Amino acid sequence: MNAARHHVIVGTGVAGNQAARTLRRREPDARITLLTLSALPFYNRYDLPRVFRGHDDWRDFLVDPPSYYDDQHIGLRRRVQVVNVDARRKTVALAHNEELSYDTLLVATGGRGYLPEELSEFRPLLDGFATYEQAMAMRRKVPEGGTVAILGGDMIGLDLARTLVDTGHRVVVVAGPLTFWPHVESAAHRAELLQVLQRMGIEIIDAVAEGGIDAIQAGARGFAARRIAFGSGRECAADVVLPSFGLVPSVEFLLGSGIDLERGVLVSRKLRTTDAAILAAGDVCQIWSEAEKRYRFYYGWKNVRAMGELAARNLTGDDDEFEPQQDETLHIHDGSTIHSPFWEYA
Amino acid sequence: MSVSMPSRRFDAVQPPAEMHSNDPRDVGWVNQNIPCQAACPAGTNVPAYIRAISEGRHGEAYEINRAANVLPGVLGRICSRPCETACRHGWAGNGESVAICNLKRSAADLKHDGHRITERLYAPTGKKIAIVGAGPAGVAAAHDLSVLGHDVYLYERERHVGGMLRYGIPEFRLPRDILEFELHNALRLGVELRPGQGIGNGPGDVRLGLLLKAHDAVLLAAGCMAPLPLPLPSRGGGATIDPATSCPDIEHGLPFLMALHRGESRSVRRRVAVVGAGFTALDCARVAARLGAQEVTIHIRTAEEYIPVTKEEIFEAKREGVRIKGLRTPVGIVLDDAGRLAGVEFVQNRLGGWRDGGRRIAIPIDGSEFVEPCDTLLVAIGQKTVNDFLDVAVDLDRWHNVRIGDDGMTSIRGLFACGDFVTGPTTVVEAVGRGREAARRLDAWLMGAPRRQRVVQIVPVASPQRERAYDFIPRQAMPTAPLHDRLGSRQPEVELGLDAPLALQESRRCYLCNLHYRIDVDRCIYCRACIEVAPRNCIKLVQGVEVLADGSYGGLREAREWNQVGAIWIDNNECIRCGACFRACPVNCISITRDEFVEVDNP
Repeated sequence: MNAARHHVIVGTGVAGNQAARTLRRREPDARITLLTLSALPFYNRYDLPRVFRGHDDWRDFLVDPPSYYDDQHIGLRRRVQVVNVDARRKTVALAHNEELSYDTLLVATGGRGYLPEELSEFRPLLDGFATYEQAMAMRRKVPEGGTVAILGGDMIGLDLARTLVDTGHRVVVVAGPLTFWPHVESAAHRAELLQVLQRMGIEIIDAVAEGGIDAIQAGARGFAARRIAFGSGRECAADVVLPSFGLVPSVEFLLGSGIDLERGVLVSRKLRTTDAAILAAGDVCQIWSEAEKRYRFYYGWKNVRAMGELAARNLTGDDDEFEPQQDETLHIHDGSTIHSPFWEYA
Repeated sequence: MSVSMPSRRFDAVQPPAEMHSNDPRDVGWVNQNIPCQAACPAGTNVPAYIRAISEGRHGEAYEINRAANVLPGVLGRICSRPCETACRHGWAGNGESVAICNLKRSAADLKHDGHRITERLYAPTGKKIAIVGAGPAGVAAAHDLSVLGHDVYLYERERHVGGMLRYGIPEFRLPRDILEFELHNALRLGVELRPGQGIGNGPGDVRLGLLLKAHDAVLLAAGCMAPLPLPLPSRGGGATIDPATSCPDIEHGLPFLMALHRGESRSVRRRVAVVGAGFTALDCARVAARLGAQEVTIHIRTAEEYIPVTKEEIFEAKREGVRIKGLRTPVGIVLDDAGRLAGVEFVQNRLGGWRDGGRRIAIPIDGSEFVEPCDTLLVAIGQKTVNDFLDVAVDLDRWHNVRIGDDGMTSIRGLFACGDFVTGPTTVVEAVGRGREAARRLDAWLMGAPRRQRVVQIVPVASPQRERAYDFIPRQAMPTAPLHDRLGSRQPEVELGLDAPLALQESRRCYLCNLHYRIDVDRCIYCRACIEVAPRNCIKLVQGVEVLADGSYGGLREAREWNQVGAIWIDNNECIRCGACFRACPVNCISITRDEFVEVDNP
């Protein structure tokens, strides 16, 4: 009876792609459509720092060969944006005014970099590192031995920082409350961790002690491309400035769909939303934690992949609950390096 | 409901001259097709003023606004914008709604300094009317009644008129010179101001009974100014207390703002928690940030998406450092040994069903209590009316608000009421709308019959007035003051207003929903050229059109077969007034008229 079902998956990150794989395995005849804003098929975003090690061909980053989608009869629609979901009629509206019907919808849109609202006026002067295109753009802007200023310094940004230092660049982390996101560290441990970063060759500026960021400006000709001015009067020059303050879930297109949202999509531990035909998986999910008595996010590659797998199983007859797949503690190794479960991709 | 063929009333080649109509089909068309105007409690003719802005006629745009709402420059800053939620440009697939409110403000900002206000005055009637309360409802009613020729006396307990506009809304959202200017304009037609004069039973107050004797009618517009209590038990032991009176660090939000705006001093400590999800809560948080608080957090029961505050307002508050935390209800307070506030205890919520206006019900989750440390708590969970000042026996409804009939009158002859005093807390634009409505009803009662009526004015339009390219202009953002200016001592207005080029771009985005496209079926050759160029599914081959109970047109019955086609019909609900069909038609059988409500004198 399920043979003719149409599964639509929004987002082709780890969660969406894992869900498509699992759905195909469990329902060989179902129609599966993946929708993505990206021009590329699923590639490993965690690998993007490799662009600074000379890997600049997009094919190097693909997880599956382009033929995979044809072989598996998975419809992959690239460069499409979902703008609206009509849960009553079971359709998604795409930005180019196309409507697509679904039998089941999996929301796996993940998150995008959070830019604190007080910095939003400087957005045109900031770079990103979330996509292959952004990674390549940054590589072009940073000269050999050039400087990258990382604002915030979440674990994604610090991962890039490790590679940059390793490849002979100068890295300044403007540290604040969201440094080490999504880890939550005590003040004492945080201070220790910042010292370790310094030993790793990363310069640290304490944003709070310097009176906060006053302005980010474009540098004059002949000088570094960006200048960060702090409240204390201190200044910092860099070739690019990368905000790195963790993720905000991409849920805007679900407004008005009737499913429950807070910061992310509120789902049960079975990843079910308040609409029976819609599930969600990955960084977009805000899941009730009975142990912590709150809705929370579970970040990390292993968690996200497990959610993609589970959502697909629950869409095809199972009814299981999500179990976290990785621990969340940040360790200091030998006093000179940091080990985070979020840096384990294999 | 019946189905009929639409009648043909216009010849497309020679459209009729301007006409007025109260045909239910025309009234129904305007009601159904201009969503912004239908959503506006004051009934503002939005497409007309936006069209005026796009032609650079800012003064005229201001006057079109002023016909519906006497405070356009004020509402252009602080309106809750129900029109933008309804705007056709914001419907699924159409992009973002037009920045209607920002355009309203731009008309007020960009009109000439010596701009002439147009008021069509009625002859004096000799009737005396007292209005109690000089907030937005009272001011709107006072203006309209004075235009209608009555002698109006406006009583206000506070030292200055303006009500919530002056005492509730901070200056960085509503500069007081703008407020003064528009209040003065609204009240200068002979309205006698009695500021500082309370009505009630207290010392120095005037009794309402006396007021009734001395005037032909009295209108109560006393607003909704008493904060809702939030009884919270103290977790350090002790009974449930009324926090606002028993701890110096806990205060209700509205009295806090009112005290500041009266010029009294107020302070907050380092970490400020605000509970509540309306404009008052947001204002409290932003004021606290300006008073020097280091951490300001708004705690809401549901989530940001479901609270009745505009997204722009939330964004600006966040830029100023205010944080919003959702899914929590306060259940207790924690005091330290010295009796000072140490924290607030909350319970985690999940989302329940839906309430009016897209709001949600929050359901507490048992056993999920937690404490958030804070030093100051501002409670802004809503207001209620106070009517203990009434010394006459008047019927109340089950919320203890004064009950009014269809004629706007209370159970006491000659005593009318309007605004939040009747409805409970709403918005400024709602209060202005209710004030105008009360003025119209009061005038009808005094004069024996309504003196004005609303009809549909239909004016032929020669060309579409829009280009398809306008549909792709993005919504123009409101320029704002730099962050480092805001929190200093000067506290300038945060939103700077659209300048003329920005206003022009934004005004072009409006679909001009008051343009009515019709196909003359007798001239149509069914070539389908219009359907070929249509950007949406807006031109349909139909069997017939539903006629609703009130005589207006309802849905279209689309034809499936050629031999069923009774007409080719423009679905004005789908139509985005791009004009493509008009330009494509080889036989000029498509006509455009501008259909809009106007008020005319009754014969």
